[in-house]
Amino acid sequence: MLASRFIGKLRQFQNWFALFAGLFLTAGLYMGLVASPPDYYQGEIVRIMYIHVPFAQGAMVAYTALFGGSLWYLWKRDAVVDNMCQASAGIGILFTTVALITGSIWAKPTWNVWWTWDPRLVSFAVLLLILIGYLMLRSFLDDPGKKARYSAVLAIVGFVDLPIVHYSVEWWRTLHQPLSISTRGISIAANMLYPLISMSIGLYLLFAYMLMVRTQMLYLQQLLEAKQGRLLSDIH
Amino acid sequence: MKTFYLRWGGILAAGLILGLLGGQRYDREVSTISPDQVLDHPDQWIRVQGRIESGTLMVEPVLHKATFELAGKPERLPVQYTGDELETLRELKVIVLLGKWNSSSRLFESKKLALTPNYGFITAAYLVGLIPLAFFLFMMERKVTLLYDLIKREKIYQPEESQ
Repeated sequence: MLASRFIGKLRQFQNWFALFAGLFLTAGLYMGLVASPPDYYQGEIVRIMYIHVPFAQGAMVAYTALFGGSLWYLWKRDAVVDNMCQASAGIGILFTTVALITGSIWAKPTWNVWWTWDPRLVSFAVLLLILIGYLMLRSFLDDPGKKARYSAVLAIVGFVDLPIVHYSVEWWRTLHQPLSISTRGISIAANMLYPLISMSIGLYLLFAYMLMVRTQMLYLQQLLEAKQGRLLSDIH
Repeated sequence: MKTFYLRWGGILAAGLILGLLGGQRYDREVSTISPDQVLDHPDQWIRVQGRIESGTLMVEPVLHKATFELAGKPERLPVQYTGDELETLRELKVIVLLGKWNSSSRLFESKKLALTPNYGFITAAYLVGLIPLAFFLFMMERKVTLLYDLIKREKIYQPEESQ
């Protein structure tokens, strides 16, 4: 139970994660909504970037955590790691959905459409479908061992979508704007970069905190069921 | 649980303060009025949003000047714009003008243009992002707290109910 010891260690720091996430998000929201200037080309509508981009990045971080956790589970077969994967998928669904909706809201005044079959949008929607599929697969299986193994394999296979999401704006020159921060440099003004970085860091920290809380929640649910006489052999 | 609700009360208060600050900034720097409300604000700096009437735009690039009329009800608003952004002006385009109504010349004199704010989209995006996130987190934290309490109280082994 190396993972449960590790999560137990992390629990001591989870409130610090929450505190710093709150501070970064508050600073980011203040800068994004109050202090930062409107963009020359997009005007005020650029403020959607400060909520859309961090959620999109958070969704990809969530899937990366799910992928890493799935590999770890197949290697160590630790039930807590499986809980972490399930938690990551749940948070990932929230982040991906919010990123898609906020992106759609941003698209309407800028592209004049709510949705277009752009590679970035499609690959991101596929990411949401993979995450929904992951949780559906878990709900279809009763055997905890099979549930964890099969879903881990699905998560590993689904990871192929992540580089497609990331590089789609580089591979195809379509409507979605290319990367503002890449190895080629930063193509965004400093007074817009600070709120974006603050919101991104805040959301990464919040994801870590949510992952710890949700992993505990899933673990405690199983523990309670075990205490009540169910699944005892599967927990310890 | 008391600490938990206090913490969430603090988060809610911080959210409301940020919303209030955002609202204040909107009133101060973004909100616009329609062309028919201009006469209610004589000799005051205001932001007017309207559509340039077709066939009224006259541009004088040498003088960095343009005259046109903004569509209004019941009458049109005559505008004189002086500035470098003449290329931005297009007939039938919806724009935001910063300036003031000159009662003597009966012209709305503007020196600055802005894009339409579309603030409804911005507000919707932030609410769609933050409300579900807060709700999801609140429910999760609450459930964890309740589960710890339940586990502490669950001391007796209860055999599984027969199906």
